[in-house]
Amino acid sequence: MNLTNHEKPIHAPGSIQSHGMLLVLEEPELKVLQVSSNIKTYLGLQPQDLLGQPLSHLIDPQQAIAIGQQLTGENTRNPLKLSISTDRGKRYFDAIAYRTADEAIVELEPIDSPNETSFFSFHAAIAGILSQIQSTSSLPEFLQLIAEEVRKLTGFDRVMVYQFDPSGAGCVVAETKRADLSPYLGLHYPATDIPQPARELYARCWLRFIPNISAPSVDLITLNQQPVDLSLSILRSVDACCVEYHRNMGVAALLAIALMQEQQLWGLIACHHYTPKYLTSEVRIACKFLGQLASLELANKIRQQELRDRVQLKSLQSELIESISQASNFVEALIQPAPRLLSLTNATGAAVCLGNEISLVGATPNLEEVRSLIDWADTQVSDNLFATDFLPQIYPPSVEFKATASGLLLLQISKIRRYYILWFRPEVIQTVTWAGDPNSSFQLENGSVSLSPRHSFERWQETVKLKSLPWQSYELDSANDLKTAIVGVVLRKAEELAQINQELKRSNRELAAFAYAASHDLKEPLRGIYNYSTILLEDYAQLLDLDGADCLQTIKSLSQRMEALIDALLRLSLLGKAQLNLQATDLNELLQQAIAVLFASRPDAQMSIRIPRCLPTIECDPVLVSEVFSNLISNALKYNDKADPWVEIGDRERSGGSPILYVRDNGIGIQAHHHETIFKLFKRLHSQEKYGGGTGAGLAIVKKIVELHGGRIWVESVPGEGATFYFSLK
Amino acid sequence: MTTRPNEPLLVAEDSNEDFKMLQRLMQRMTVQNPIYRCTTGDEVLDFLYQVGDYQSPAIAPRPSVILLDLNLPGIDGRDVLERLKQDISFKEIPIVVFTTSANPKDIELCYQRGANGYLVKPMDSSELEKTVQAFVEYWLEANTPPSVIS
Repeated sequence: MNLTNHEKPIHAPGSIQSHGMLLVLEEPELKVLQVSSNIKTYLGLQPQDLLGQPLSHLIDPQQAIAIGQQLTGENTRNPLKLSISTDRGKRYFDAIAYRTADEAIVELEPIDSPNETSFFSFHAAIAGILSQIQSTSSLPEFLQLIAEEVRKLTGFDRVMVYQFDPSGAGCVVAETKRADLSPYLGLHYPATDIPQPARELYARCWLRFIPNISAPSVDLITLNQQPVDLSLSILRSVDACCVEYHRNMGVAALLAIALMQEQQLWGLIACHHYTPKYLTSEVRIACKFLGQLASLELANKIRQQELRDRVQLKSLQSELIESISQASNFVEALIQPAPRLLSLTNATGAAVCLGNEISLVGATPNLEEVRSLIDWADTQVSDNLFATDFLPQIYPPSVEFKATASGLLLLQISKIRRYYILWFRPEVIQTVTWAGDPNSSFQLENGSVSLSPRHSFERWQETVKLKSLPWQSYELDSANDLKTAIVGVVLRKAEELAQINQELKRSNRELAAFAYAASHDLKEPLRGIYNYSTILLEDYAQLLDLDGADCLQTIKSLSQRMEALIDALLRLSLLGKAQLNLQATDLNELLQQAIAVLFASRPDAQMSIRIPRCLPTIECDPVLVSEVFSNLISNALKYNDKADPWVEIGDRERSGGSPILYVRDNGIGIQAHHHETIFKLFKRLHSQEKYGGGTGAGLAIVKKIVELHGGRIWVESVPGEGATFYFSLK
Repeated sequence: MTTRPNEPLLVAEDSNEDFKMLQRLMQRMTVQNPIYRCTTGDEVLDFLYQVGDYQSPAIAPRPSVILLDLNLPGIDGRDVLERLKQDISFKEIPIVVFTTSANPKDIELCYQRGANGYLVKPMDSSELEKTVQAFVEYWLEANTPPSVIS
């Protein structure tokens, strides 16, 4: 940007305000090199009368010595009271003398009498303020007190405390004013309102006073000198831009006192008066002192405020962490209650993302938008903690949801698992009330942008588009602390989980051992029951009537049934301990054998076997897979009431992965609500008499074998027409 | 006190031996009520909804009380209980669970789902007799069932 409005550097305008005089001197003789042209008005002298002359030409030697002392720093910058004889009698002045890089400067302001101090007691003005300042507890209260004290001191119509943000934009944070004036409190002003050079001058000089902004400036008359550096001058003339800016606001007199914090310009105490207003040097010194005092205390108050915020944040954090570590549902604990997660970083919305599960809190983009944002962050963001107050700049799709998320703070808890917490802030435009349209301070002239004072100071809500309030470092710290805490909690949970896992393994082993031993031992008395029933039936049949024989027969068949159940249990417990004996197996061969064995034990079975095409050779445990096939085929045989029962064995199209095998029949089928339960141990769908009975363990064993191979089994069926069992073996 | 002989009892029991035992005991107690039996959970529902093999009210009258085993083939007894108690037209029929399971979780679950009683099948035959006696005296004699809706 080309700022073309300043023809001369702001610090060396070559002119001063008209309410005093300025002399530029050459040391050590204090020879006058430059003088303001209004010397004629105040002293009745022509500049030429003084230029090239020593200062003693104007004032008596004693006063000249005092000036010299002030220059060498023996006297501080309290004004000297000077009297100068003119053709209209004695005139009195406050004089300030100081050095710049190359010259010495003396500034003179007229006063009515040398005893003016008596009207204003510095001590009386300042006393009491200090203790009041210390007794304020909050920063806003403190700033309000400062504003009120400055207004008491100066009598200005309006006194504001104006705070700069990191971008240089300002906000009125405290204000006291004449009752009839409209308030500026809370208004924001763009950074361009106070250009950087002006801000630097405020930081150097503490105080800037313009009693009459409309008064024409007075040139410095010089022999052959360059414009002198007036950075430290209290009389320095007012930049044209500044004049117009304040005139547009209706301001006639202006006083600005710097508020410094850690050598940085933190803000200003800005005083406006709507008619010209003169302040004596004593009042100005008191104001400056108050500004310095306030600056000292400011650091204190900011620290206190931050400390309070931090303590509050910390307690919020520990509360959150406490509930996370106790909760069984981690996400619930994070997002309930919602304000807690948000105030951790002063956000207005948040999203907690655990893998594919996303929970939204407060004002956020919609779920799809958040999902896309996380996808983008997944590939673009490598930092564990990422913050931006200008998301649309780096992620253009976010323009769509700028109202909720122009600012993003992204905390990565685990990239691999896609565990994220996102905090959102809305576009600033939604929250800031600007004083006037700040864009109007830029004007395009011949293609270059120039600064021009704004004409409108109506409230205006525009300017910073697509940006949110910036994330503060302590807010980032807070997010980081949360991560540390979460990782701690997760680690502890993982430890607990590992322990539970170990116990589970042990108890699983024990259970398998128990089932095996128990099954074995159960079979012994069972054999006894069976054998003794047989003895009774064979040797004592003549002592029993039909009913009695029937009862004994039932005992025999029940003990057989129990043996079948125990065998199934034994088989399953052995499978639990089994090591797979994996080898390349030709399924065609395996199937032929399984079918041969199956039909050998059922010689009357009438069923056609269909194998539409050659089966693959796969890596598996042949004994176990053979058991799978014979179980499924025997089921197909059992649960079939058709005249021409058939079973078909095949494999489905293999697209890269492991083959999916199937066993299909034209049997009775299985209703959809049983598709899961049929694989449960001892679960049967029919009563004992139907379809040849059975233990209800076959499919449980099949499932166990398939899962041992890392595969999956499921069924599809149309009841009455048939069923197809699909399974894969990894 | 006498039984109300016309009120049908539905027994859901898959074990032939258990059902035979129950029948014997009830005969001994001269229970006059008609006893209907289903051997799977699916059958119980078919019976009550009068579908499938049970399409006529003559074969499948509305029972005044149901004695329900939990480990049934097909739809589990626990699910049968839930289905019936959630159906406005059947929830008033008293259902007494009759099972080998003395698992507290089952007891809790069945009452949660609205069971009207829970009887554990004892191993000992004289204990079994006492349990069946108590069932008959309370549910078939003392208790007044909801009126049968025509």
